[in-house]
Amino acid sequence: MLKWFKQLDKILRGDATRIPLLAEGRFTTPVAGLSVAIVLLGVLYGLCAGTFAMIRTGGQAYMQMIASAIKLPMLFFLTLAVTFPSLYVFNALIGTRLSVISALRLLIAALGVMLAVLASLGPIVVFFALSTKSYPFMVLLNVGTSTVAGVLGLGFLLRTLDRLVIVQEDIEISNFEAGLKNSKGEEAKDKKIEPTGALDRMGKVTTRKAKSVFRVWTIVFALVGAQMSWVLRPFIGCPTAPFEWFRERDSNFFIAVLQALANLFSS
Amino acid sequence: MLLQAGYVLRARPWAVEDDHTAKKLLQLGLLIAVFGILYGAVMGSFGGVFGERFWQVVFSAVKVPFLLIGTFALSLPSFFVVNTLFGLRSDFSYSFRALLATQAGLTIVLASFAPFTVLWYVSFSNYRGAILFNTVMFGSASITVQWLLRRFYEPLIRRNRRHRTLMRAWLVIYAFVGIQMAWVLRPFIGYPDAPTQFFRQDAWGNAYVRLADMILSLIGG
Repeated sequence: MLKWFKQLDKILRGDATRIPLLAEGRFTTPVAGLSVAIVLLGVLYGLCAGTFAMIRTGGQAYMQMIASAIKLPMLFFLTLAVTFPSLYVFNALIGTRLSVISALRLLIAALGVMLAVLASLGPIVVFFALSTKSYPFMVLLNVGTSTVAGVLGLGFLLRTLDRLVIVQEDIEISNFEAGLKNSKGEEAKDKKIEPTGALDRMGKVTTRKAKSVFRVWTIVFALVGAQMSWVLRPFIGCPTAPFEWFRERDSNFFIAVLQALANLFSS
Repeated sequence: MLLQAGYVLRARPWAVEDDHTAKKLLQLGLLIAVFGILYGAVMGSFGGVFGERFWQVVFSAVKVPFLLIGTFALSLPSFFVVNTLFGLRSDFSYSFRALLATQAGLTIVLASFAPFTVLWYVSFSNYRGAILFNTVMFGSASITVQWLLRRFYEPLIRRNRRHRTLMRAWLVIYAFVGIQMAWVLRPFIGYPDAPTQFFRQDAWGNAYVRLADMILSLIGG
């Protein structure tokens, strides 16, 4: 078990995403153990989020706590399932060397970053759950912690993807130079290589495009994650509402956050 | 011990150096406890120190170090993860001691303000005035030790500029938790007409919700 968390630690330290490793087209972190670590951290934060209902109802809402602990890891893995295909497709379109498995590993690593941050904010959530009566406040606090975790996790993903693009560009340039050298030799004369002019851009255009594509995709991931959390609600559990595994399908995440803000001020 | 307090105040490398770390952490903890208790005791003496009121003094004395160490402990895990994520894990042990030394500095500064508080209590009997005065004391002590924190962090920032960002992030987390912690641990001063108690019965509220209410009622008239 310690080994799994060590893998997570390696990712957090950035040892798993150094450029030389990525240049070999490898993202080799074993994900099975990492996934277990992610689930455990998710359960931990789920328990933290469910504490509020438990305290407010005087121990009645233990089901809410259990439900939150189960649903929180689900939230992340379902978001992954929804967004993974498009990540892979974009990734292939741009032409990075990441294989399906590597892309999946990368995304799981990003989840690991998110959950490590989220779980580390757990004690603060429990402290507020113990000391506040305001349900809208707890909702907003949890939205806040999840946002911090999401921003850092997606930041990690984006930086790694950027690195992959840089690596890709380096490979292209070195291939190009190798080809240029060859063309001076006798054997490779039939290979057509256009000579570069002084004003020719090298790689930059694709790099910029690739980066903006990944940025858009990151925003999509954030939106999916937010809405997924709404679909899987309640995580905190309104103390006055009866326990349910899932609530009715209505409204959406963003309207609900605005509503919570309004309620905070009107209560 | 006073020697150590002096080291902390002068931001000597004593607190952040790498040798005897365990012992130093203990000593810093002790500094926080002793000077925190000192100011807490003074703070709780508003309603008098004899009879039942003596307990308010004891309670407040215990609560001040608890406030600081509790806030510190709650904020630390996320700070640790974020530091790792920003590639600063190797400096974490230094940052940890720097932050703890800053906490110690805060209690020492507060303790040095204790005579002002005594003078205020002797001069004015208004309870709200006492609250306000102590808030000002805590506020000025916090601002003063910012300077200390910056000096402890200077070598780190010189090495890697990200430390500056993280130092600010720490202050945000710490203030966010600390304000609520202070709210929950009330009363520190003790309303003279109310019975002495460790926690106020209705204390389990939320400082931020109360603040929002107060602002709203102010706007709404």
